[in-house]
Amino acid sequence: MRELRELAARLLEANDVQVVIGWEEWGRGVRPAFARTLAEADRLVFDQRCVHNLATYLHPRRKHIRRLGRPAVVVKGCDARAAAGLIRDNQLRREDVVLIGVRCPGMWVEGGAEGLPGDRKWADRCVSCPQRTPTLCDHLVGEDGPEPDGPGLEAQVERLQALPMAERWAFWSSAFERCVRCYACREVCPLCFCDRCLADKSVPQWIESSPHQRGNVAWHLARALHLAGRCVGCGECERACPAGIPLSILNARLQQSVRERFEFVASDDPSVPSPIGQFRVDDGQEFIR
Amino acid sequence: MTVISEADLQGLAADLLAAGSTVWGPARVPGTSRPGVEYRPLREAAELDLNAGLPLLPLKRVFLPPTEPLFWWERTAAEVRLVPPAPPSGRVVVIGARPCDAAGADAMDRVMGWGCRDELWFARREAATLVTVACERPADEACFCAEVGLGPSHPRGSDLLLVARPGGYAVEEITEKGRALVAAYPHRFREDERATLDELTAAEGPARIDLAAVQRWLSDHFDDETWNEIALRCHGCGACASVCPACHCFDIVDEPDSLLAGTRRRNWDSCQASRFTVHASGHNPREGQHARVRQRVMHKFQVFPKRFGRVLCTGCGRCTRACPAGQDLFETLTLVSARALETP
Amino acid sequence: MSLYQPHLMTIEAIQDETPDTRTLRLAFRDADLAAGFSFKAGQFGEYSVFGAGECTFCIASPPTRRGYIECSFKAVGKVTRALRDLEVGEIVGFRGPYGNAFPVEDWSGRRVLFVAGGIGLAPVRCVLWNVLDLRDRFDEVTLVYGARSVADLVYKRELAGWRDRPDVRLVTTVDPGGEEPGWDGEVGFVPAVLERAAPAGDNAVAVVCGPPIMIKHTLPVLARLGFPPDRIFTTLENRMKCGVGKCGRCNVGPVYVCKDGPVFTAAELAALPAEY
Repeated sequence: MRELRELAARLLEANDVQVVIGWEEWGRGVRPAFARTLAEADRLVFDQRCVHNLATYLHPRRKHIRRLGRPAVVVKGCDARAAAGLIRDNQLRREDVVLIGVRCPGMWVEGGAEGLPGDRKWADRCVSCPQRTPTLCDHLVGEDGPEPDGPGLEAQVERLQALPMAERWAFWSSAFERCVRCYACREVCPLCFCDRCLADKSVPQWIESSPHQRGNVAWHLARALHLAGRCVGCGECERACPAGIPLSILNARLQQSVRERFEFVASDDPSVPSPIGQFRVDDGQEFIR
Repeated sequence: MTVISEADLQGLAADLLAAGSTVWGPARVPGTSRPGVEYRPLREAAELDLNAGLPLLPLKRVFLPPTEPLFWWERTAAEVRLVPPAPPSGRVVVIGARPCDAAGADAMDRVMGWGCRDELWFARREAATLVTVACERPADEACFCAEVGLGPSHPRGSDLLLVARPGGYAVEEITEKGRALVAAYPHRFREDERATLDELTAAEGPARIDLAAVQRWLSDHFDDETWNEIALRCHGCGACASVCPACHCFDIVDEPDSLLAGTRRRNWDSCQASRFTVHASGHNPREGQHARVRQRVMHKFQVFPKRFGRVLCTGCGRCTRACPAGQDLFETLTLVSARALETP
Repeated sequence: MSLYQPHLMTIEAIQDETPDTRTLRLAFRDADLAAGFSFKAGQFGEYSVFGAGECTFCIASPPTRRGYIECSFKAVGKVTRALRDLEVGEIVGFRGPYGNAFPVEDWSGRRVLFVAGGIGLAPVRCVLWNVLDLRDRFDEVTLVYGARSVADLVYKRELAGWRDRPDVRLVTTVDPGGEEPGWDGEVGFVPAVLERAAPAGDNAVAVVCGPPIMIKHTLPVLARLGFPPDRIFTTLENRMKCGVGKCGRCNVGPVYVCKDGPVFTAAELAALPAEY
């Protein structure tokens, strides 16, 4: 933590950056912070409560953050993958941001074995994380920690995949029924940066905006498909969802599918082009009969 | 003092279900590992769980569903026919509403009855009886109902108010509807002369928000730097509005089913959405998250009380709990209140 | 019938004012409504194309004409484009009248100045006709109206009629570059033309409607001509849905455009935050 604070102070003092986006302590835990002074830099923290994906604040639309100046952003493994995704998709130039990588020990979430609040366990997505320590970064702070353990996200995906189609459909149907189309999932997602989302277009109305069954299914499937090969598994969508819809499982399944078909995982190397962002003559294409 | 035992309260739910009423109450949500309960229409009385804390989502969907048809249209060669939705039939009883949720419905009554009456809203309100259970303790430090003129046993918006006592609850009849419910199921309630209605008060301590001062400060500080600061971490995600017992902004859309027929619906919406106020010309009066964050606080603590005499917030704390970026409405209000009291 | 269910209207007549502006005359299909419907100048309605949605326009015909209402619009969005595709005889919906009105009854004995730009003539036309239909009650009536070009002037037939009336002073203008051969009106932006025309501001009221930039530059001219801010009237537009104060979308600071407006005085506007 001291390493992080000192680095943030050095960057601000040198005017290399005008804001360091990290986390601060708060009455209810930690939350994103925008340190612009040395005093604020001295309050930055990092630990297993820092679940937020700060790369989302680098979206080009966030003019009020761009106005602060050149940012440094503290990134965990998933956050760095998100920053790489933004660079890969031409939403961010590498030289416009300083990335402070942090050796991520995995994040805690609420809910012990019996689902009682107050107990903590490793987040499933962290158990499944392909790379908790970023390579895409200008600096690297922190210490390695113990491996997160637990069943992981794959186990949930496999459990669903093993169900007959009708039961899988019933699972997702009843999950999507709870959706009220607040679009929190979209707004917190680092890779949902479209200036005008498909769901907001009305001529024609591609996706019905009403939170009924068919509208919700259309929305969630469209979003999952648009994130295929791009989602970095940061879990923010599921965390933000006020209705508790298990979006991580849906996105994880699609990333599995992309890995199987295209041998691609959204890593934090922006020079590896995404399957949708390139055309390869040797694409499998086994689905064309 | 009228009292009801825990067993009889669950029995009342069973009686109402057997009589064909719709009964809403806090219940676990199947198919999610998220801890906590939500208000749900009960299939059986055993689902009712009054001891699992503040329901995660507000009660407002009973009166303002996330989506609701306004009418259907049907076209023929020469005519268009508009078919209104059938009025809600049957009684609805909510068992285990919390005072913050009941008060939220009461706040929305003011808007829905302003000038002209929204009959869709009031039909549902009139068909529903709210049996509120007072809070023995705050859900957590995010609760601040006492700071906005309410409290853990405040009766506003409720028909019956139940306050915990050994073995059950003391029952206060607030409205005629509440009295009628007690009279209709006399075998569930009994009299106990020794029982008293202990008012549950919030934790002692000086009030940290002066609502009148907040309202004045908001009127005079439209362009304050505060809004830019708060907006930095805000994603404009709208989770706050969806979990608020008093937020009620809605959209109206047409959904054709075919070239000849379709439904006009109203759907929940939120002033936090970037396109909420955008004109057809592309002009957006609230460009920038600072303007939208400001609107939320202004609407609740200046615009609404100026017109209707009470704030559009019941202090339930859900917005703070739901916010993925760590916004804290109570923190904002205490900050504003302190600033307001500094300036003469 | 619920607040949100529209009255059914038949399109009686269509007039293309300019290449992108159309006026519809709508008749109530319900005979009782046709006879009994009334409104005040300045009020608006929500017009439906079933399947596309609703759109907000002022009622452009004057309240002194019964049995029909008119609206004028530009096809810029989903609903207006759908409206433009309709033909005479087709059925649309109408909810209204909503909002407040120009306090015409307070203007008796005063000079009345109308200043409009482009399609802003639509709300002005309503109250102008209202005044002309009660002409004896008012002192001088002046209309200063301009558009980008001659083709963009709306209500051309009515403009010709007003020009011929001895009891109306009409000044029309097009933006520099917008004139064509045979144009005998002014050339210049509306605020400048207004200043040259110099209608007197004492014992007068002004109604101003048009693009925000025009209004911004017109208000200082009116001040110089002696119009006090509480006798300058304009209309605000904002994105609306319900039109009746329930959906929370149209507020500008503490006022709801659909309930406290759309008609506001310059004095009232000055007290509002710049959120429109």
